Amino acid sequence: MTTLKPATAGLLPAVVTRAGNAAGPVAVTEVAAAELDVVTAELAQHPGARLADLFATGADPVILRVVWALDRDQLYLVTETEVEGPRYPALSDIAPAAFAEECEIYEQFGIRPAGGKPLNRVAMPPQPDIKLPTLGHAPAEPPRDVHAPHLVGGQAFEFPFGPVRQVGVESLYYGLVTSGEELVDLYLFTWHKHRGVEWRAQGQTPRQALFHIERVEGLGAIGNSCAFAAAAEAALGLEPAPEALLTRAIALELERLYNHAAAIAALCQACGLAVGRAAAEIALEQLLRLNAAVLGHRYLFGVVEIGGARTAPDLGRLRAGLPAAYGELRRAGDALLSTNSLLDRLEATGTVTLEEARRLGLVGPVARASGIAADARADHPSGAYAALAPVVATQTAGDALARMRVMLAEAAESVRLIETLAADATGMPVGTAAKNGGPRSGLGWSESSRGESLAWVELDAAGRISRARLRPAAVRNWRGFDDACRSQNVFTDIPIIEASFWLTVAGTAR
Amino acid sequence: MSEPMGRGGAWTEERGTSDEGRHHLEAAQAASGKHGTSDEGRHRLEAPQRRAGDAAAAAELRRRIASQFGRSLHVRTLDTGSCAACEQEIRLLAAPHYDLHRLGFFFTPAPRHADLLLVTGPMLRAFAAAAGKTYDAMPAPKIVVATGACALGGVYQPDAFCYGSAGEVLPVDVWIPGCPPSPLALLHGLLVAVDRLAERVAGLSFTVGGTS
Repeated sequence: MTTLKPATAGLLPAVVTRAGNAAGPVAVTEVAAAELDVVTAELAQHPGARLADLFATGADPVILRVVWALDRDQLYLVTETEVEGPRYPALSDIAPAAFAEECEIYEQFGIRPAGGKPLNRVAMPPQPDIKLPTLGHAPAEPPRDVHAPHLVGGQAFEFPFGPVRQVGVESLYYGLVTSGEELVDLYLFTWHKHRGVEWRAQGQTPRQALFHIERVEGLGAIGNSCAFAAAAEAALGLEPAPEALLTRAIALELERLYNHAAAIAALCQACGLAVGRAAAEIALEQLLRLNAAVLGHRYLFGVVEIGGARTAPDLGRLRAGLPAAYGELRRAGDALLSTNSLLDRLEATGTVTLEEARRLGLVGPVARASGIAADARADHPSGAYAALAPVVATQTAGDALARMRVMLAEAAESVRLIETLAADATGMPVGTAAKNGGPRSGLGWSESSRGESLAWVELDAAGRISRARLRPAAVRNWRGFDDACRSQNVFTDIPIIEASFWLTVAGTAR
Repeated sequence: MSEPMGRGGAWTEERGTSDEGRHHLEAAQAASGKHGTSDEGRHRLEAPQRRAGDAAAAAELRRRIASQFGRSLHVRTLDTGSCAACEQEIRLLAAPHYDLHRLGFFFTPAPRHADLLLVTGPMLRAFAAAAGKTYDAMPAPKIVVATGACALGGVYQPDAFCYGSAGEVLPVDVWIPGCPPSPLALLHGLLVAVDRLAERVAGLSFTVGGTS
């Protein structure tokens, strides 16, 4: 990590190029509060730049950090701004992707973007008797509760659905605004699942915090814990052994495989295709059993460790079991892609345009299905991926069918990557790297099955966490979900769109 | 709403009586961990004598469900802050490898049709009101199954965010350990729950005075 300072308006693109050429994959630069909007506007215009995260730290003054993913420069640029007083420039006016984070920062730190735009309730529950601790100063006024007017233009009405929904799905509150069948508007509440994982991590060592971070979203345990471990290792100056990085990469690809199988099973269920669902679930169950046989847990908990990996893959079982398990998925996928009733149902359902995906900074299969070839494994190679050159699958239609095609292509690529990684691995457990003193803060990332997962860790002098920021891919992609649902869809399309996005509520309500 | 909220005592009261069930569950959990889910585990299950035992057990269970619940037992799920892994395992109960319908269990999205509530997650305070309403909406006799390490109190301590376990808010009858519990562990837990529900039905009064 390089610290560049200070950046001023007009110079930043040159700074970016210099940092990208010389300084490794992450650069941190200070930006004055008065220049934050100009610098943000410049970075937003930079080719291949994407606002990946926005978060705050501390109180009096609050430090505001914007993480820019400069995908073409293979660089993450972090801008740091000291905010004195209750207001900072409204970044979501320049980069709309920042809005959810602006709401979150208001709830947790009490500072708000200039201009007085209403900030929505994100994580703080509205019940007056529940007082949750915040990461900084609590806001002076409670955030705005989103509620559509009961009647919109005399035609539409609000149809509340949730938070307790059908069997085997997470709690999620849908406010559906409808004229009867067509979806006019939609908003989601997830505050009832906010578990305060970032708050819990404060005062813990990174190793202690890993337990809850794996459980932020159980279906993304490896993606999120790899990002968090990488951030903690950058902060501590640890270099994990290459063997441990191979283990992590194998686990990450296994996680992608079972998640894509689960998404396809859920898509079939949403379309009422029982045979397709059963076929995909056979593949899914085999992949989960393969996980347990190879790395000791069906959902791969307990694999990642700060500075290395806690376990080594059983390569014999991996080689023996992977072809059959993936064979089931490929057979199911081939059959589904020639089932016209399914294709008709998925086509033009839940469309996200390229422009929307860019504007909202979407990541992962959702962004790739809309034509954005962003993949942290290829754009920001780290760990074992530096030598791999994964092929990034893209589609252009942006609908549920395009997302399914991307997932099937990625599953095939994951199998190829696992085979390459397993050829280099020995399957022998290795120790974790020893501490040799680092800059005490760091950025980590991984390409989870849902897309880029980011983490930022700051440590105090005793090596305990003073701020842990987690940004699972679900945080980004739920923002695209509303838009996908609004575009010419009806009620029965929503379960299909939800399955094709394959997000978790837990990931966003961490 | 206030009634189930006040039943924290169910934790200690019920814990002793479901020890037998917990014992079975822990055995199931051990069997479905690293080794049970591997190929070896499957071969063990498919051995002929094991299969005969399974068939007899399934027949007995079908008979019990048929006599007590008119051949079906309807299951509803409630996520009070889980990480989504428990939900994935619950969905897999309906997958071909497990197929809980063959045993007379069915999922229902309607609380009025539900006999059994599978509760996952550490019971977040922001969710307790919804959990109480979900429980109240189910007709008696009903049974609550706490599912997974969070619901059992093994992941989150009681604090400002959460009660820390399902038993703090709902009267839990059966506890299924595991993070997440595998579908086999869930099936074992459901079988234990059937016994508990049968006890409830046998103890129900069908007269106004409540004497018989």
